[in-house]
Amino acid sequence: MMGQQGDFLQVLRERGYAVEDFRPPFAGGTPSGHTEVTAGTTVFAIKYADGVLVAGDRRATAGNVVMYDRTDKVLELDRFSVLAIAGVPATAFEMARILEHSFKYYRRSQLQDLSFEGKLRALSTLLKNNAPAALAGTGTVAPIFAGYDQLEGCGKIFFYDILGAEFEAVEYAVSGSGSSTIRGILFYMNRWGNGPVAGMNEEEALTFVLRLMTSAAEFDSATGGVDAQAQLYPIVKRISAEGVRAIPAERLKSLFSEKVLNYV
Amino acid sequence: MYEEPYRWIEAVANRRQYLDDQFTQGNPLVAVSFTQGILLLSFNRGTDKIYEIYDRIALGGMGHPADLEKLRYALLDMAHVEGFQRSPTDVTASRLMKNGLAPVIKEAFEEIFKAPYIAKILLAEVGVSQERDRLFSINYDGMFEEQREFGLLAASTLIRGLLTQEWKSHSPLSSLPSAVEVSLRLWGIASLLQMATPSPDAEEAGTTSPPATSLSTLPDDEAIASRIRETLSKETLECVLLDRESGKMETYRTLSHSELQPFIPSVFQPAI
Repeated sequence: MMGQQGDFLQVLRERGYAVEDFRPPFAGGTPSGHTEVTAGTTVFAIKYADGVLVAGDRRATAGNVVMYDRTDKVLELDRFSVLAIAGVPATAFEMARILEHSFKYYRRSQLQDLSFEGKLRALSTLLKNNAPAALAGTGTVAPIFAGYDQLEGCGKIFFYDILGAEFEAVEYAVSGSGSSTIRGILFYMNRWGNGPVAGMNEEEALTFVLRLMTSAAEFDSATGGVDAQAQLYPIVKRISAEGVRAIPAERLKSLFSEKVLNYV
Repeated sequence: MYEEPYRWIEAVANRRQYLDDQFTQGNPLVAVSFTQGILLLSFNRGTDKIYEIYDRIALGGMGHPADLEKLRYALLDMAHVEGFQRSPTDVTASRLMKNGLAPVIKEAFEEIFKAPYIAKILLAEVGVSQERDRLFSINYDGMFEEQREFGLLAASTLIRGLLTQEWKSHSPLSSLPSAVEVSLRLWGIASLLQMATPSPDAEEAGTTSPPATSLSTLPDDEAIASRIRETLSKETLECVLLDRESGKMETYRTLSHSELQPFIPSVFQPAI
């Protein structure tokens, strides 16, 4: 009867699905002192005047090898929330799928939306259960969760460490191997730029997002950035009171050629 | 005492009578397929009767709210586990009905020492094109039917034929306003015919008073309009659209009162 509380994980458990089994595939894989976060990519979220923008690079790597250049790492969980993933794709996509179904199941069974707080808890729980795999390095995920909090009427950004600790970002959050470049730029811009990033309008913010991604790709081999020749642009999603909306590639394309590529 | 086959048949027959009786006061439910999707329509006196089951599937119910709730949960569990472990496109109303609902309801009905489900359920699945719309309705005994265009839940299954004829005279429908209008009309006819059906008890006692509406002919337009006016002023109109053109994975949308208001013809509007 646990299902009657709208807990999809419990329903899965009752059907024999090993929810907690994101375990390392080899026995005795004890964590060494040094666990390398194999989160080769760049994802970030920034607050701007009209809400939140979440962006994800599209490259997926395995060591030195570029596996795929068209990955979508900014996943819509429901109409009002987005998960941007960095880390081991298998585990990250599975988590996103579980969350998406959990939110749907809760809404349909309880006839009300899961609260924003409840959604955050659901993600924390998955990450906590995933801790053994995260420490072994086979299931490391460090995601960013962004969504619109209808109770408070504003967009919010949260980021997590690989063990499930949750932090609310005041202005922005970054994750993945390209994140240090972006953090530096964001810090500089907010401190000495022409006003805080949070005050930018949509066009300025989108331009800024494309420049940030291009900068990350410059210094991080695991980040693809923009490949205009191949028509490859980052996935960018906007979160506002109306919900989640994907920014069309055409918009990014024109901004990129006007304000990023041939600027100055 | 039910070990003998005859006793068992008798017990099942009693059960039918008891169950038929339970539905006589219930509100019928109508579902129609049209260009934009599937419209489900009914009235309620406080408890909702139409629910979302999955991305493209809605449930309409008639009967005891507690039983409906139990069956709704069973369907939700089945649909979401399937959608998660396989893919959302693998969740179909056909399989939910045939593998999920029908065996459970039939078993409960024939288990004569336990209470049966007092429930009739309609599952509507909107397809990518209108030819792929499906409507399934199941009776309290586990008997189910599949329809393409027009689905109905009502106390008596006898009225189905007349309503199907009426539906054919209106189909195909090409807009939401016409779907709302026709569904309302069909609902009014179903409601009148249902009231005209002699209750099993009355039949037995031989005290059947001549009903206002005969079961073999359609009620006239004025009777239908007056029935709808009366219900609109007393009960809550419940209307859900499975929107084929939503452009998203999820298609279920409850139509609000203000959205419906312009689609209700003035002859159906209660005088204020």
